[in-house]
Amino acid sequence: MSKDTITFWSLTKGFRRRYAAALGALLVSSLLLYLVPLVPQVVIDGVLDPEQAGRPSVFVRLLVPAMGGAEFLSGALWVPGLVVASLSILAGAFTYLRGRWSAQASEGMVLRLRDRVYDRLQHLPCDYFDGHETGDLVQRCTSDVDTVRMFLANQMVEVGRACLLLLLPIPLMLLIDPWMTLAAVVTIPFITAFSLLFFKKVRSLFRLKDEAEGRMTSAIQENLSGVRVVRAFARQDYEIRQFDARNATHRDLDYQLYALMARFWSISDLMCMLQKAIVLGVGIILLVHGELEIGSFYFFITAVTMFIWPVRQMGRILSDLGRATVAFDRIREILGVPVESMSEPIAHAEPVGSGIVFDGVTFSHRESSPVLHEVCFAVDPGETLAIVGPSGCGKSTIVNLLLRLYDYDTGSIRLGDEELNGIGRKRVRARVAVVLQEPFLFSKTLRENILLASPSAAEHEMHEATAAAEIHDSIQAFEHGYETAVGERGVTLSGGQRQRVALARALLQVPDILVLDDALSAVDTETESLILEALRRRHHRQTTIVIAHRIATLMHADRILVMDQGRIVQHGTHQELVGVEGLYRRLWTIQSPDGKEGDGG
Amino acid sequence: MDDLMVKEHELPQRIDTRLWRRIFGHARPYRGSMIGLAASGIGMAGMDTLMPLITGLVIDSIVDQRGGEEIMTWWLLYLMVIVLTCVIVWCFIMLAGRVSTGVAYDLRTRSFGRLQELSFSWFDTRPQGWILSRLTSDCMKVSSLMPWFMLDLFWGTSFIGGIIIAMFLLNWKLALAVLCIVPLLVGTTLYFQHKILRSSRMMRRTNSLITANFSESISGIRTTKTLVREEENLGEFQELSGDMHDWSLRNSLQSAVYLPMVLSIGSIGVGVALWRGGMDVQAGGLTLGMLIAFMQYAVNFFMPIQELARRFTDLQAAQAAAERVQDLLDTEPAIRDSEEVRELVRLAAINDPDAPEGWDGGDQRIERIEFRDVGFSYVEGEPVLEGFDLDIRAGDSIALVGATGGGKSTIANLLCRFYEPTGGGIFFNGVEYRRRSLHWLRSNLGVVLQVPHLFAGTVRQNIAYGRAGVDAAAVEEAARRVDAHDFITGLEEGYDTEVGEGGSLLSTGQRQLVSLARAVLADPQIFVMDEATSSVDTETEQQIQHGIEAVLQGRISVIIAHRLSTVRNADRILVVDRGRIVERGTHEQLLERQGRYFQLFTRQFATP
Repeated sequence: MSKDTITFWSLTKGFRRRYAAALGALLVSSLLLYLVPLVPQVVIDGVLDPEQAGRPSVFVRLLVPAMGGAEFLSGALWVPGLVVASLSILAGAFTYLRGRWSAQASEGMVLRLRDRVYDRLQHLPCDYFDGHETGDLVQRCTSDVDTVRMFLANQMVEVGRACLLLLLPIPLMLLIDPWMTLAAVVTIPFITAFSLLFFKKVRSLFRLKDEAEGRMTSAIQENLSGVRVVRAFARQDYEIRQFDARNATHRDLDYQLYALMARFWSISDLMCMLQKAIVLGVGIILLVHGELEIGSFYFFITAVTMFIWPVRQMGRILSDLGRATVAFDRIREILGVPVESMSEPIAHAEPVGSGIVFDGVTFSHRESSPVLHEVCFAVDPGETLAIVGPSGCGKSTIVNLLLRLYDYDTGSIRLGDEELNGIGRKRVRARVAVVLQEPFLFSKTLRENILLASPSAAEHEMHEATAAAEIHDSIQAFEHGYETAVGERGVTLSGGQRQRVALARALLQVPDILVLDDALSAVDTETESLILEALRRRHHRQTTIVIAHRIATLMHADRILVMDQGRIVQHGTHQELVGVEGLYRRLWTIQSPDGKEGDGG
Repeated sequence: MDDLMVKEHELPQRIDTRLWRRIFGHARPYRGSMIGLAASGIGMAGMDTLMPLITGLVIDSIVDQRGGEEIMTWWLLYLMVIVLTCVIVWCFIMLAGRVSTGVAYDLRTRSFGRLQELSFSWFDTRPQGWILSRLTSDCMKVSSLMPWFMLDLFWGTSFIGGIIIAMFLLNWKLALAVLCIVPLLVGTTLYFQHKILRSSRMMRRTNSLITANFSESISGIRTTKTLVREEENLGEFQELSGDMHDWSLRNSLQSAVYLPMVLSIGSIGVGVALWRGGMDVQAGGLTLGMLIAFMQYAVNFFMPIQELARRFTDLQAAQAAAERVQDLLDTEPAIRDSEEVRELVRLAAINDPDAPEGWDGGDQRIERIEFRDVGFSYVEGEPVLEGFDLDIRAGDSIALVGATGGGKSTIANLLCRFYEPTGGGIFFNGVEYRRRSLHWLRSNLGVVLQVPHLFAGTVRQNIAYGRAGVDAAAVEEAARRVDAHDFITGLEEGYDTEVGEGGSLLSTGQRQLVSLARAVLADPQIFVMDEATSSVDTETEQQIQHGIEAVLQGRISVIIAHRLSTVRNADRILVVDRGRIVERGTHEQLLERQGRYFQLFTRQFATP
């Protein structure tokens, strides 16, 4: 997993033989496909119209005796008929095999690629996700993979097919008549160049159209998510006008695309059919001069029809090749990012020490200025520590370091006697439970969400946890109770409900350390105080870190840290901190119920 | 909701002709183009039928050693057919473009217009993504299908007809022999088209599940890591990717069987033609050239059949999309101006050309708002409000407090006429508000929501949203009044800073301030606020508080309040619980009473 630079070639590993087999089947089926028109040719030239001018082609001399001789054939025309049908059916069988093997190879490769990307993604460090937009990553994992899939499944074989269809008949045609052969391929370079140029050009228009479509879609989306604002300000007409402009731009670009397509298809059709007309014209001249037989003439026309259309596709395929390469590079970029180190394989459940010591920890994201400066504090096992401070003061960074979502390199963090960097990530995360301000629930049922980290918990344990998180009653009130699905297809939970479900999930883990990262902000104050009380009453007193803005949430903690700009500016109990001038007292005064509300900030 | 989702992936067994007739009705403005498409189809089929005939005729005239001049005539005819074919190709793509882009545009415009009228109860039960895809992919599917269906319907049937006629004219016995393959072709095509359609749907469906899984895994990456769920997630994902592998393999295999199969069937026709036709040639009943034409027809026969089958499966595949588009267009908004009110608005506009847009001629100034015996339920049988009375006079500020789910937001929603009462009525200056125009009400309404919503655009555009055509000075004045000016000028580009989609580039507190400025600038008579409890730090919260006070001055205000100072300054505080007012009075009165309000209020700070 660690060295993971994959190439296109390494991607095909394990499927190369299948691809080779597919190529073989392709060769056989293409050969057979060309043999089919040969049969009517020899029958016409050798049997039906033998006395016409000209010399019989090599095939007539070979194939007619093979089918039993001209004498026999003229009395038994069902034989060549049968040969035509059986050859086509045989060709069909090989075409099928070609399709089957190449599909198996490409789908197998894509399956492996998908799983690999997914696995990789889950093990990337958090700061990778900070620097990349979700939408972009999802696109790489889905539509880029699909572009590669389409290329592997269709285009790669199609390139081979087009080449074979073009190259195979050339010796056959040369054997029949070199001048006709030249006439049959003369426009091919022009068609290829034309379609290549076209698909290059159309791609930029496609991009413009996609962008216009994106703008139109986001206009709808904005209107939908702001529907209340639109109505409240009675701005429907404005919205309609705005949408109409984007809708019209999109329509016009789409129409331009159609116009371009119309030009391409009609001109390339013309070129392809001209190719046939040239064959026809040259053929006529040669026929009239008695230098070509009718059967051979028929063969040329059929062969041209067979290879001229794939040639037209070449431009498209080549331009798709460019797209697939870009897509593959974008996927490779993900696969090339180093994963979080997951070194030692210690068993999950082994507890970690529940006392926490931060000793001179300084931390910065990449090269930017530090978000934590020389942070020192200690929490004894079973204690509750509260952290307060303005947004961006570094509170959440402490949590992220504690969970080993980021790695510190200056100072020291200890859980019990162990240095945090020396404890496996999985073990730390299994024993430190965290509830985030905007907790994430998966689209599963509530039960599955709560049991995520402790699938073997008993029913009564789950109920205890949900009761402590004050969410049990709300869940019971849903029509399907704990089986209610969450997310797009299920109920939409309010922010407060989500926070409480996440809390229940964390409590059920029976962690050594519990971290509430502003995790009750959306819960109303009444419910919050019930929850905090329940937490205090729990039998298993884990070490708890509470981050919050509301003083009421913090005031009962054993110790309170006040942070500002990455530093601890005050610490002590509520009583101590209220007693001294400082940030904490200022916050307390603002939030105080007795009306002494500062002097206007 | 489940029904809505399931429908997208099921195949309708039959084609709903009534629905499609209505859908094709949307192409009426492009009737000319549609007729042109039909004509192109017929013309194209004519060319396709002529081509093998001409080839055959050329051969015959050579065999019979007729003069070079006659042969050149055939060749020139062939060239003409080619050029004509290309012209037709160009025409039908252009026509298809006109129809498809035009219908898509019309459908989107009408659907979007409809969305602006539909009531919130409609939006409540439908996820945003679901509505969005009505206007994007569904409209596209329906509109792009129409011209091609039209073209291929005419091309396919005329080509089949053309081939049959040509063959019968040439040699009816041979025609009958070759046509034996037709039932086989039709049967195979129908069978496989259906299978391929089904598996490609399953592919798309699995693909969307995979996309959903990826985006969930990425947005939930922290949760996954902190719960150590990596292995389990991978396991779940592998099930999906395994399904995807199976379905797309199946789909490829079906296509891999289908095409060789119809080609083989076609070649049976060629074989038959060679055998029987060859005998006819020997007997002198058929020329060589016509034999070659016959074989060409036998090879081509599968093409129109395949195209026709494909277009009909397209219809089948797009039927659900068509239904959804038509449904949206057919949905009547639950809340809209009645016929009389619309008449009043028309009259007002005629009588007074300077009247504000959408005014119904009634009182402009609001002196009094009364809720009389109002009842409301979102779901029938589960009342949220019952027998609710409230009397508000000009200049009053009312605060609603109480536990979540008690009905506070419902009262605000009813006042804004986002929903209408299911019992009783709401009266403005004594007139029931359903007899006033929606536009008038909403123009006099300022709303700030719990989750402030901004539109993608600049800060300035957002503040000016509520009033068209205001100048920069007015925008800044509004921002100053809510104390937002300083933070805005502190932004990189000041008032021209882009706020991002949904305002995501600003913090929650900043978004609140911008939305307050927007409300101030709109200068409404009534101000409704669903106060935020979201987590902003205490000092930002205080800044917002000042903004709110600036907004409230001198208007009727209804506030769903959590913050102490807002509640304290209200003229009246209503404690709402289970759809009823359980206490009312000023802050001091209520504190003295030591009832529910006192409880709520002290809870926040009391030591349990």
